[in-house]
Amino acid sequence: MAIVLGALALASGAAGATRLDPGVSSNEVKIGGTVPLSGVAAAYASVGRGADAYFKYWNETHGGVKGRKIDYEYLDDQYDPSKTVDQTRRLIQEDKVFAVFNSLGTEQNLAVRALLNGAKVPQIFVASGGLTFGRDYKQYPYTIGFLPSYVAEGTIYGKYLRTLKKKATIAVLYQDDDYGKEMLRGLEKGLAGKGRIVSRQSYDPTASDVNSQVAALKSSRANTFLIAATPKYAIQAYIQAHKLGWKPQIVVNQVASASNVMKIVQSSVGSLANGSVSIGFVKDPTDPRFKKDKVVALYRSVLKKYQPSADPNDVYNVYAMAVAYEFINVLAHAGNPPTRDGLMRAVTHMNDKKNPFLYPGVVVHTTPQSRFPITQAQLIRWKGGHWNAFGKLVSAR
Amino acid sequence: MRAWLARGAMLAVGVLLFFLLPHVVSDFRLFELARVGQYFIAMLGLYVLTIYTGQVSIGHGAFMAIGGYTTGVLVYHRHWEDVRTLPIAGLVAGVAGLLFGLPALRLRGLYLALATFALAVSVPAVIKKWESLTGGSTGLLFATFHENRWYYNVTWATAGILVVLAWIVLASPVGRTWRALRDSEVAASSFGVWVPLYKTLAFGISAAYAGVAGGLLVILSLGANPNSFPIQLSIYLLVGVAIGSFAGIPGILVGAAFVEYVQVYAPKWVSDSPGIPTFAFGAALVLAAFAATAFSALTIRWQTGLKRGPAKETS
Repeated sequence: MAIVLGALALASGAAGATRLDPGVSSNEVKIGGTVPLSGVAAAYASVGRGADAYFKYWNETHGGVKGRKIDYEYLDDQYDPSKTVDQTRRLIQEDKVFAVFNSLGTEQNLAVRALLNGAKVPQIFVASGGLTFGRDYKQYPYTIGFLPSYVAEGTIYGKYLRTLKKKATIAVLYQDDDYGKEMLRGLEKGLAGKGRIVSRQSYDPTASDVNSQVAALKSSRANTFLIAATPKYAIQAYIQAHKLGWKPQIVVNQVASASNVMKIVQSSVGSLANGSVSIGFVKDPTDPRFKKDKVVALYRSVLKKYQPSADPNDVYNVYAMAVAYEFINVLAHAGNPPTRDGLMRAVTHMNDKKNPFLYPGVVVHTTPQSRFPITQAQLIRWKGGHWNAFGKLVSAR
Repeated sequence: MRAWLARGAMLAVGVLLFFLLPHVVSDFRLFELARVGQYFIAMLGLYVLTIYTGQVSIGHGAFMAIGGYTTGVLVYHRHWEDVRTLPIAGLVAGVAGLLFGLPALRLRGLYLALATFALAVSVPAVIKKWESLTGGSTGLLFATFHENRWYYNVTWATAGILVVLAWIVLASPVGRTWRALRDSEVAASSFGVWVPLYKTLAFGISAAYAGVAGGLLVILSLGANPNSFPIQLSIYLLVGVAIGSFAGIPGILVGAAFVEYVQVYAPKWVSDSPGIPTFAFGAALVLAAFAATAFSALTIRWQTGLKRGPAKETS
């Protein structure tokens, strides 16, 4: 009798399963992604941990999305694309996730893009500003990014510099990979011939320092210095410029302009940090403007409860919650029960003006033909030990 | 003769497992096992170099990179079928090993190890600079991929062939000469052995094994990327040699499985807090070394108990 019942239960379970997409059950949606929890880029681990904290908070306070709790599994890929391939295989073949979400790194996401699109698994809100993730959707319809592209960011700096009274002569330090080169390309595009790049120096992303590059840039006598580098190298660039007595206008890219990074810079170089320009699109928890912001307060309490060892001043945690918030939003529009195709339809029809973790006024907007969710940013200037917004929101397209 | 019987038995068990496992484990586990096979092949080459000729290399990850990029370039630029590139990957890495082996002849022990380490540090940087061929830091992405079962079959069939080849070489006069060299270079050369030839040859062969493993790594990773050949890779390969030195080929197998699984499961089973997985890996490594020593001591005691000598090499 028990056997018959067991068989019946199995049969009905199997029949029920065929109607649901992988990773979806009556009370749960399983998603996953890769982030570097160890290795050279372990600083970006908060992009996974912060999102996990927000999902846990949401599950507990709202019971998930339409009664389904979100189970987010983020695996360590050590920033090695071959490990990204293994871990992503594990997610889709062994853990059978509904979607791959918030995986970090340009090369890392490129390594699994064909695999995921071949298996028709959504690869959404890729944590990289690589242009290709928003541009090449015809070939890879299951892939979409989240943050502004590096080209767009470079363009903003170019446009800003060309409005200055004094003609900018620019020295650029950039990382020798797609990310750095796209930033440089954007800068040229934004300048449109109205400012001059007098010197450009690249560094290898595994280099020990950038001192010789900064010395070479200084000798160009540029009056503006664009640092298109990750935090470690950006800090070194500031310090070396300071040591050499070079006092240019500094523009530092968004991936290195988190307040906790800038505080280190300021303590080492003092006044050279003042007046630095960057962009932002998520609320900076150290910005005094947001001291009484309810969402920043919520952010702190969520992080404290669900990721107690995390640093609340690390802006990547805010980014992570912004992207987790948006995932919850699109999941609610992916059908009931949610399907993978429904999810892709939802992420290509976003129009969210209220993502509370983003700068006021920044809209998350996509159409099937325009797949860059965030296309606005705020210019910010470092003064008085924190970032200050100036001017209106600018287009980051 | 007895040694060949033992090898035959080992091979039979291996073949049996090869056909049996796909019926027992899940599809994804076959992919993990293919990764184990990839490490196993590289470790096997390094094991032969270290145990049979006494040369130490902490830079075999570089030869994996050379083999891997040979596969990458042939598939990406020349549209070769991936599995057909493996012999070429071995050949190119082997030639690179021979060339590196020549200057390395002047170095011994620790100094040789340091020179090979320099190789592991520099090769990925060179690969990045040579962008038109290697795709720079983006690497070379493959457009086609296979079933997990296919990866498993190819990797372990290759591993089987390479094990048999290693046995044949070790049983040949070349293998005998290597052992003579390891025990005493002076004695060997006074018997007319041309030392440089045999030492360089060993380096070349082990590099070729690493090259094939690198080719497989790239095929399994759906493309070649410089970040896939970090310095740690060369260190990991030594784990296999360390365990293998106590327990032979089964030991290398354990070493290969160790590198694959502890990396993956340490964050899951221990903790994924910053630094803990790396620490767990190191701690597990020390434990494994102790376990291997204990195992080796026990087997030796068991063998002497049976009134046999500690039969390390009976060819």
